[in-house]
Formats: sequence, structure tokens, C-alpha cells
Amino acid sequence: MSKMSRMGITRRDVLKGAAKGALLAATGTAGFAAPTIAQQNKDRIIMAMSQEPVQFNPLLYVNTGTENVPESCMFDALWDIDENGNFIPNLATAVPTRANGGISPDGLVWKVNLRRDVKWTDGQPFTARDVEFTYQTIVNPKVAVRSRGGFDSIKNFKVIDDYSVEMELARSYTPFVWAWQNMHIVPAHLLKGEADINTAPYNSQPIGTGPFMLKSRVAGSHMVYERNPNYHRGPAKTAQFIHKFVPDLLVMYEQIKTGEIDYLGLQGVPADRWVEATALPGLDFSRTPTPFVQFIYFNCGKPQFADPKVRKALYIAAEMQKSLDDVYFKTWARTLAYLHPTHWAYNHALKEETPNPELAVKMLDEAGWRLGADGIRAKDGVKLQFTMSTTAGNQARQGCQALFQQNWKKIGVAMEIKNMPASVVWGEYTTKSQFDTLLVAWEPTVGMDPDYTARCHSKQIPVKDGAGSNYVQYQNPEVDRLLELGVTQSEQEERKQTYAKIQQILLDEVPFAPQGGSIEGDLKKKGLIGVKPNQYVTSYSWNVYDWAWA
Amino acid sequence: MLAYIGRRIVGAIPMLIGVSIIGFALMHLAPGGPLAVYTLNPTITAQDIERIKTIFGLDQPVHIQYLKWATGMFSGNWGYTFFGGRPVLIVILERLPATLLLMGSALSIAILLGLSIGMIGASRRYSIWDYLATTGALVALSFPTFWFGLMAIFIFAVDLGWLPSGGMYELGEEGNIVDLLRHLILPTLVLALVITATYSRYARSAFLEVLHQDYMRTARAKGLRPRERLFRHAFPNAVKPLIALLGTDLPILFSGALVTESVFGWPGMGRLFVDALTMKEYPILMGLVMFTAFFVILGNLLADVAIALLDPRVRLS
Amino acid sequence: MSARTRRQTLIGRFMRHRPAVLGAVAVVLLCLAALFAPVLAPHDPIELDTSVRFFAPLTHLAFPLGTDELGRDTLSRLLYGGQISLIVGLVAMATTVLTGALVGLVSGYYGGWIDTLLMRFVDMMLCFPQIFLLLVVAAFITPTLISISLIIGLTSWMEVARIIRAEILHLKEQDFVQAARALGAGGIRIMVRELMPNIVAPLLVAATLKVATAILLESYISYLGYGVQPPLASWGNMLTNAQGYFDSEPWLAIFPGVMITITVMSFNFLGDGLRDALDPRLRM
Repeated sequence: MSKMSRMGITRRDVLKGAAKGALLAATGTAGFAAPTIAQQNKDRIIMAMSQEPVQFNPLLYVNTGTENVPESCMFDALWDIDENGNFIPNLATAVPTRANGGISPDGLVWKVNLRRDVKWTDGQPFTARDVEFTYQTIVNPKVAVRSRGGFDSIKNFKVIDDYSVEMELARSYTPFVWAWQNMHIVPAHLLKGEADINTAPYNSQPIGTGPFMLKSRVAGSHMVYERNPNYHRGPAKTAQFIHKFVPDLLVMYEQIKTGEIDYLGLQGVPADRWVEATALPGLDFSRTPTPFVQFIYFNCGKPQFADPKVRKALYIAAEMQKSLDDVYFKTWARTLAYLHPTHWAYNHALKEETPNPELAVKMLDEAGWRLGADGIRAKDGVKLQFTMSTTAGNQARQGCQALFQQNWKKIGVAMEIKNMPASVVWGEYTTKSQFDTLLVAWEPTVGMDPDYTARCHSKQIPVKDGAGSNYVQYQNPEVDRLLELGVTQSEQEERKQTYAKIQQILLDEVPFAPQGGSIEGDLKKKGLIGVKPNQYVTSYSWNVYDWAWA
Repeated sequence: MLAYIGRRIVGAIPMLIGVSIIGFALMHLAPGGPLAVYTLNPTITAQDIERIKTIFGLDQPVHIQYLKWATGMFSGNWGYTFFGGRPVLIVILERLPATLLLMGSALSIAILLGLSIGMIGASRRYSIWDYLATTGALVALSFPTFWFGLMAIFIFAVDLGWLPSGGMYELGEEGNIVDLLRHLILPTLVLALVITATYSRYARSAFLEVLHQDYMRTARAKGLRPRERLFRHAFPNAVKPLIALLGTDLPILFSGALVTESVFGWPGMGRLFVDALTMKEYPILMGLVMFTAFFVILGNLLADVAIALLDPRVRLS
Repeated sequence: MSARTRRQTLIGRFMRHRPAVLGAVAVVLLCLAALFAPVLAPHDPIELDTSVRFFAPLTHLAFPLGTDELGRDTLSRLLYGGQISLIVGLVAMATTVLTGALVGLVSGYYGGWIDTLLMRFVDMMLCFPQIFLLLVVAAFITPTLISISLIIGLTSWMEVARIIRAEILHLKEQDFVQAARALGAGGIRIMVRELMPNIVAPLLVAATLKVATAILLESYISYLGYGVQPPLASWGNMLTNAQGYFDSEPWLAIFPGVMITITVMSFNFLGDGLRDALDPRLRM
């Protein structure tokens, strides 16, 4: 698609015919000329997103991406993870490993030493009691905490002294390190007395240890944070940080072009404007991989999908790369597993097998699915006819669905698109495995650790076992064994091999067909330094204390 | 009069209860629940969702949930949001000023413009002005408001760059009235369009009724000039039914405000409703429903009282 | 006045109303276009071909009104979208008219506590801004053409009920009704044989105007994503898609919006003209 057909036929040509054509011809170029970058205020950074955080307590529900901003501005965790996948200590003095004695040789006892120079922004000192209280809140059944991932493996939690804690795990679990990266510490002295943390007034006026403090908020418009002078990593490099909400992506895009905002975050530049965005003067464009990978989920409990050969055939027939090229304008990364290709555990030996409709037809014929008179394949009275669901209103996903529908029609498979509002499709329809297929984008379940137990272990099927997120009802004893092995291994190289094997089996049996890893295009002003896209976290502002003006 | 108002207030209570039951039933009897958004979070397990359901009381039968909510509301506790645990009343009141500003401005313009157009149309019946006014009003009523808003943004904000494309103010300009006005113009005009059209039609009808009355002919025979006839005799009589309509048309104003706020990103109650809808925040949705119902009932009451005050012939029953 | 002369006067009054005539003609044309969409549309509206996407209108013979972001033909989608919008509009209108007429009839004729109860219910429903009611239900159900039409219909009947009730109250006292009662006719019989024919006029007017509002509402909820689901094209959901391409492909947003406006306008003019022709007494 040449640039001419889109930019050459400008609005001027099209609108000339319209009544206002004359007016626009005169002012059109003037209005759409090079954007005027507003006078730069170096004491503050304005970051814009399309959604507004409603949750300021870092333990309660989070809308990934959005609520991570108040979390990273006002709170700290025991340790963070940087853009290269390395854990860096934050409130802890060091990240526990077997080498430094933080983890016992059998992997069961974790000892953490805490910094002594940290203060809450109300002046109180941060101590091990706060860590203990955070843990107790997380496992408290009465608190609607956003995630227990990893914490339910703690058998025993001991406060040794004011600045060290010891945790004994019920079983050796390497991904445990992610648990404490994900959950931030809340103040015991402010929340201990609350009868119900879910509705405490603290949730509107949070106090943390973080690099910024919440100064003011205008609901629906923006939040203003001011630097915490006593931050234990040194005061943040900029005095004021403003989080602005602009619900319309296009409007947000206009605003960064005119200089009204400094950093465009969630949900990034619309995919069809990337080419233009990379060339904008005065702005840096960065490709930020988000942790999400998009799949087609096949419900293995349904008769059509019980046979892995059928699933594989359907997967092979789909034009996966084309969908990424067309619908996402080549911005997403093609992946053949549940991880982004840039993840350390990604298996680069996996082979791309799509699209291959001829092979798909052969596989379906061999599996006994013959073409019926109506053009739809059938076997033993069951037709290869099913629905695919996703969130209604998501245009990109609908484009993908339309493409897959066409692909499958050609090989005698009838897919019907049945989209529903988010609250319906992700409710019991998904969790009780009622769907036929889904088009869904998810992250791994324990931070960015490659452990995928919750989603494909045979004992993690909610409708059977009441636990887990294995909504596709996939069962494979070899995968189970490998998953259980992977979380006990402590050396990255060992784990890499284990997970490589898992990824290969998943690609052979295709309980979920991987399409692509989502990559966002973010824009920031050239003068803004310190911003580092990090594929291992969902927070744009994970290192906001480092952001500054050149 | 006071007795009448008293009776109406007492009668409003079962109305509000009825409204709350209808709203509650609609929300809870539909499939899916607020916790569906949790499923999107990969670290939540099905057990967690069950547990959270219990915490929010969502696993109890619908009527029990309703009673808990209703008793809470009548004692002033409007509940807490599911996501954020913040008091619902505060969340709604935060957004109220923005919506009032928008609705107030739009209503003012609509009344002024609508009355004028209607008056002119009626007094110059069958003239070119009347024709333009009636046709124009009908055309204006046919625009989808949200599309009109999008076109307005497209033309005035994106292409011509005269006005901002959304939001309520620029950062750092909170106190600046000019900035606020610049942001207010487009949403107000868009919201006012439909209402002005409707009012101009009502006004034209009302004035037509009045202008053909005998007392108007008498006034003319007495030698009063057209303007005097219009304003001293026609106007006060025509305005009465229009005041009643102001009260009953409040729901339309809220509907229009919702659409306009979402298109322009105006941080008011309408946008809060749309956002709460995606998250299925029952507490906020119920709160907004009760809020608007209260205002609608109040509006009707005020309209009826105003008519009774203005027209001694009307007996409040 | 004989029936024939009455009809002539009605038609005469209607014809004098030029916008109404235009509206009637437009409505007929739109319905025909929608009916014959499969014949008139040059392409399959859901067939996508990204090699032909973003064509501007009048630049390619095969795609007279251009193509959208997935290469689908705009003209075909407009035609089929018209089909959808009209179907939803008509079914919603039928639901509204039936429900409203039923409630109004029963309420007006029987009076007493039935009347009070029903009218209280109507008052309560009217406390909800219509969009609120519509969105709350639409957001929680699985959207199909029927369900969307039904919920639009079921949230719009209140004014019709009130108008019909007012008419019935007025008619109830008339001689012909009293006569029928004297002859021993039961309630249902009176409602069907005496009252219903006389409320056809206001119902017709209300019906026409309700199609207009139903189309507007459908376009709004489809635009928001709660209504007609892609790849099925409706004018409303064509606008959702078009929003992201405003400054470079404005036709994607202009055409559907213009079609909605023209259609709604036609029904509005038609309804207005009908109202003036059928009963000049009836204002509003």
C-alpha cells in the first residue's frame, strides 16, 4: 500500500467537493502543518494514557497498565525487575539467591534483609512489620486482593527483627521471586486498625514509600504527583509528575504532536500511524513489548477439538502472519509460544508452519473429517462448526476473526463470530469452559516467569478441579511433569531447556494457537531521558524516579 | 400548596424504591458479573473469583443483595466501588460539577434559542422563516448526536485547530476561565443542538395556540403594537406549558449529556456511567440511576409547582 | 363526511406538506434499497481484502464509495447496513407500538387501580434516561438483531402508552362507546372494535417517529460496541471503525453518518406530515 493512496489523496481532495471545502482549502494546510511544540516546562513530566486508574491501593484489583502508574509512583516492592530481566533490589538490600545464601539449598527457606533508611511519606519508618502486614493482607480471605500468585506457597512467615524476615515455602518454587516483585508494600501502621481494607479511606488517600506523593486529583482528567524528598534511592529527578487521561487515542496522538503531553503511553500510537510516528520531529518512537500474547483458545473438552490433529490443522490453515501484517500493520511480533520472542525462555527452535491450507486439508481428511454436501466437514455426526468469541467492540480482534473465518471457510470449516461485552465473555463463559473458541490475549501467570502451570496443567482446570486457569481443559502428563520440574529448578539454563520442551509440545498439540505478541508504539519528547521500555512489567512508569529532562 | 408539595414528596419515595428495584433487577439478572474483569488478570484463579464474590456479597440471592444495598442507601451509605473501594457518593459528586456545567450551559442556550425561534416561527407563520425554522429543527433532530460531535471535533479541532478536541481544561490552567470556555463550547453546542430543536418545536406550537386566542385579537383591536402583544400577552401564556416540559424533559438532557461527555471526554457523570458500565461497577451504576431519578422527580415537581404558581386556574390535585 | 371524501382530504392535507412528501418518497426509496441490497451491492459486505483497503471514493470503478481499513466495499456495507438499521428500526417500533398501545388501552379503559398501577410504572420507567436503561441492558446481553431490537423497543414505549391512554380517556366518554356498552358489549370487544380503530391515527404517527428514534439508538449502541456486531455491517458500527481514521479517510465516517441522518430525517418528516394531516388537533 503506497503512501500516495493514503496521504496523496489528502483531506483536501476529498473535502473539496463538500460545502466546507473552500474554507478548508484555505486553512487546511495551516491547521495541519508542522505541530508547534509548546514551551517546555522542565519541572514536570506529563504522561498520557487512555484509561484512568480508579484503584490506589496497590494490593487490590488492578487494571494492568493503568493502576500500575500510581503503584510505581507511590509505592515500592522488595525488588524490581529491569528491562534486561534482571532483578534489582529495592526495599530489600539484596535479591535472595542460592549463591548469596538468601535461599536455602533445598529452595524452601527464603531470607530477606531490608533497607534501614526507608521512610513512609508521613514520616514513619519502614520496617519488617510492614512486609509482614502486606503478606497477611494478601492471604487474608476477606480482602479482594488482586493476586495471590506465589504467596499461597508460603508455609511460614517469620519476622526475625525490625529489618529482616524469613519465609518458609511449602515446596521448592523458583518463580516465588516474582511474587514479591509484583506486590508492593503497604503501611502496617495506617492499615492495621482498619476493619475492612477493601473500603478503607486510605484507598483514596494512599501513603507509600515511593518516589512521588499524590498531590491532587481531578476525577476523569488527571492526577498530579510531587516528588518525595526523602526517597531512599535519592529524590526523583523531576519535581512533578502528571498522569493525564485522554480517552480517545487519536486525540492523545494529536496532543503529543502539539506538545501538550510529554509521553504517550497506554494504549500507544494507533498501529496504522506507526510509519508516520517514527518520523515525527522532536519525538522518540519506541516499540514497547507488552507481556500479552494473543491466542486462539480451543476448548479441548468439545468434540470438535478433542483431537490434537484437528487443532493443529486449524492452526496451520490460519494466516497468522498475514493477520499481524494487515490488522496490526506489522507492529506485533509473531510468536510461536506463549512468550514474546524476546523473552529469555523463548524457544527459538520452534518452526513457523502457517499458512499451509493444503496440509491442513490433508490432516483433516486423515483424521476422518470429510467434506459434507454443505461444504462443512463432519465426522461421526459432528460437524466442524463452532463459534469464536472475544470482547465486543475490539476492532482489531474482529479483523483477525474475519480473516480466520475466511481461512477456515476455504478448508470446509464453519466458524461463526459471536462476540459479547467483556463482562459476559470473560465471566463464566470462559472460566467454566463454556466456549468453543476464544480470541484472547494474556500474560503468563506469575509475573513474567515462563511458568505456565495455571494455564495448561491438567490439575488446573477450573470446571473440574475448582482451581487454576486452564480454561481450554488441556491434559498432557508429559507437560504436567515438565511444568512441575521447571518450578523447582534454580539455574536459568536448566529451566530454559525445560520450558523449551514445553513450548514444543504445546506447538504440536495446539491447545491454544499463538498468534502474536503485542507491541505498543510509545512516543516521547526527545528531551525526556531515562524512559526505558520494559517487557517484563506492565508498568510504563516502573523507573519513573529516573526520568528527567536533558 | 405546601400540602401539595408534601404529598408529592411522600409520593416520591415509593417511586424511588420502584426505580431502584427496576435498576437493580436489570443489572443483576443479566449474565456475566463484575468479576469478569478479574478473569482478564491472569494471576487470578477461579477460586479467587469465588472468594471475591463472597467478599462483595455477590454470591447471595439477588433480593438479599438488594435489601442490603437499599438499607445502606437510605441511611446515607451509598456503598463502595468494587474496584477501588471508594465511597460511591464521593465518586459521583466528584463528577457532578462538570456535568452541571455542561447541562446548564446547554439548557440555557436551548431555552433562549428555542424560545426565540419558536416565537418567530409562530408569529410569522407560513413565512420563509417559519419554514426554515421548522424544517431546520426537524433536520437537527435527525442528526445522531455522537456523530455530530465527532464531526464537530473533526472540523473545529483537528482540521481548523481553533478549539481543543476534548477534556475540560489544559493542565496548569485550572483556574483559567477562558481555557474552560474554549473547552466548553463544542460539547455545549453539540448537546444544545437537539434540545434547541425540540424546544423550538414546542415553543412554536405553544405560541401558535396562544396567538389564536381571543384575547390576542382583543389586544390587536386595542391597538397594541406587535411587540407589546407578543411579550405582554402571548409570552406569559405560552411559556407555561413550556415550563412543564422543562421538567419532564430532564431525562433527555441526561441522555444527551451522556453521549456528549463520552464523545468529548468531558469528565462528568455521563462518562462515569460509561466507564462503570465496562467494569460493571454495580454500586456506581445504581448510584447514578438513583441520582438521576431523584433529579427527574424533583424536576417534575418543580415544573408542576411553577405552573400552579403562574396560572391560578390550574388546581393542584 | 363520507369515508372517501375524508380520505381525499387527508391525502390532500398531506400532499400540501412538501417535506412530508419528500420524506415519504425517501422512506420508500430507502426501504427498496435495503430490500434489494443483495442485488444492488457490488460486493459481499464482509469480504475482506487488504490489498484494496483505504481506497478513496470515486477513485476506483469497482469500489464507487471507497473501501475501509480491511478492504471491504463501503457502498455494499452501506446498503446492507441500511437493511440492518431498518430491520432494527421496524422491529423496535413494532415492539414499542404494541407494548405502548396495550398498556395505554388497558390503562385508559379500565381505569381504577389498574390505571394507577400502570401509570406509576410508566412514571418509574420514565425516571431512567433512556440511554441509561438501554446501555445497562445492552451491555449485559449477547447482542443479536432480535435482542437489540427488542430492548430498544422495550425502553421506548412509555410515551406511546401515555398518548394512547389520553386518547382512550377521551374516547371512552363518546357516544358510540356508550352505545356499544349499552348493547351489552364486553370490555375486550369494545377495545377491539370501537377503540382500536380510533387510535390508529396517533399510533401511526407515533410509529413513524419511533422508527426514527430506534434507528438513532441502534446507531449509538452499535457505535459503542454493544449493538450489532461486526463483521455484520450497521451504520452505527461502521462509525466505530471509522473513528480511528478520521483525518486520513474521512469518508468512512461521513457516509454512514449522512445515511443515518437522511433516513431519520425522512421518517421524521413523514411522521410530522402524518400528524398534521391526520389530526391537526394533535400537537406534540
